[in-house]
Amino acid sequence: MSDVQPTVTVDARGVACPGPLTSLIKAYRKAKNGDIIEVLATDAGFKADVEAWVKRTGNELLSLTEEGGVIRALIKVTAR
Amino acid sequence: MAKKVLILGGGDGGTILANRLVKKLSPDQVEVEVVDKSDIHWYQPGFLFVATGEAEKEDISRRRPKLFRKGVKFTKGEAKKIDLDNRSVEISDGTKKTYDYLVIATGSSLNPDEIPGFTEGVDHFWNYDAAMKLRKKLFSIKEGKVIVGIGGLLYKCPVAPLEIVFLAEEIFRRRGVRDKIEIKYVSPIDRAYAPHLLNKVIEDEMKKRGIDVITFFSVDTVDPEKKVVNSLEGDSLEYDLLILTPPQQGAKVVRDSGIGDDEGWIPVDKYFLNVEGYDDAFAVGDATALPTPKTGVIAHFQAATLANNLAVEITGEGTKELFDGQSFCVIETGMGKASAQVSNYFYDVPPGLIPNWLLHAMKLAMNKMYWRCILSGMI
Repeated sequence: MSDVQPTVTVDARGVACPGPLTSLIKAYRKAKNGDIIEVLATDAGFKADVEAWVKRTGNELLSLTEEGGVIRALIKVTAR
Repeated sequence: MAKKVLILGGGDGGTILANRLVKKLSPDQVEVEVVDKSDIHWYQPGFLFVATGEAEKEDISRRRPKLFRKGVKFTKGEAKKIDLDNRSVEISDGTKKTYDYLVIATGSSLNPDEIPGFTEGVDHFWNYDAAMKLRKKLFSIKEGKVIVGIGGLLYKCPVAPLEIVFLAEEIFRRRGVRDKIEIKYVSPIDRAYAPHLLNKVIEDEMKKRGIDVITFFSVDTVDPEKKVVNSLEGDSLEYDLLILTPPQQGAKVVRDSGIGDDEGWIPVDKYFLNVEGYDDAFAVGDATALPTPKTGVIAHFQAATLANNLAVEITGEGTKELFDGQSFCVIETGMGKASAQVSNYFYDVPPGLIPNWLLHAMKLAMNKMYWRCILSGMI
């Protein structure tokens, strides 16, 4: 998924729960279908939170990876 | 020659910092000036108790100039433009103030129009007038659907929507109308409150009190005509009374001066609170972009740290301190009880304290101690 270019990047590194998820929701509020939102987070709970959020909202989780303590989620907006 | 410390904003952070500086340093060491557009200081946690009928205007407001120690100069005026590179601030009367050290303590401002329909259709208690309006509704509604929860995602006092739902439930119970009122709590995440241990306590209490939690409900728009609130997730709920956190942003002067992020929050060093890229400009309290809660207690602890560090900087004596992100919030759960949230940069999983009378008593004591002990820089 490294070739996917995000429309917007939300850098929530160092932010505690629920900061990364609320930052994602803020970006989602401004997004339109087809946009790709990239979220960078260090809060361990973010993985479960973003999976549950994508499942509930019907958007598409393109990838969810972790490298060097940084969680990277790529979400394709499909449910706006 | 005395160093000039210019403080923009006379709320918790600005007032405590000013008073601590003149307490620590002599007039030949420091000259402290606070600029604020209003000469009334509000005890903002008190708005909750105004809404519930337990506090009046005189309990939660004071004339601002009277709250400063001797030696602090108070100027009523609005900062219009901050020029960090030239150490200068333009004031609404057209004058320019210069400084050796600048502290931006301009707080957060309400931005209700971010949610269409909010102004017409939603009640809240983030200022006195709104709290009084809400009080009338809490004491007059006889039946129907009450929805409480999170509207704006970033707001002052993270626990406030929890407190109002519990206290509203208690008011309805006391008024004998509880069985005719349905209460729902809306949250944008998969639980009522983010910290897991505390959420368990909160959700248990909500269950006990018959408050339904609606998860993954991020408020998108409000239709005040049809009395419907719509979520980004595509759900809609009807209401008779809708109480939500208003969207908030940084102060206008910060946004106009281009020193904040896209919402006007100021990026600062998380430990020393200096504005990124500057060693003579700082920000405290709600104004910063730090991931700490926007609460008075954070402003208080930051002001204490910064007062010490500025005194060290000015005198060349002593040791600088780090701000560790310490926060402590009492959460009113009604029925004479309260829980609490404790966290800092290194410990971000607050314990789930069972609601008890002692924490409630602490909160009531704090309402009194605030004026005499906290703002003055005594504790």
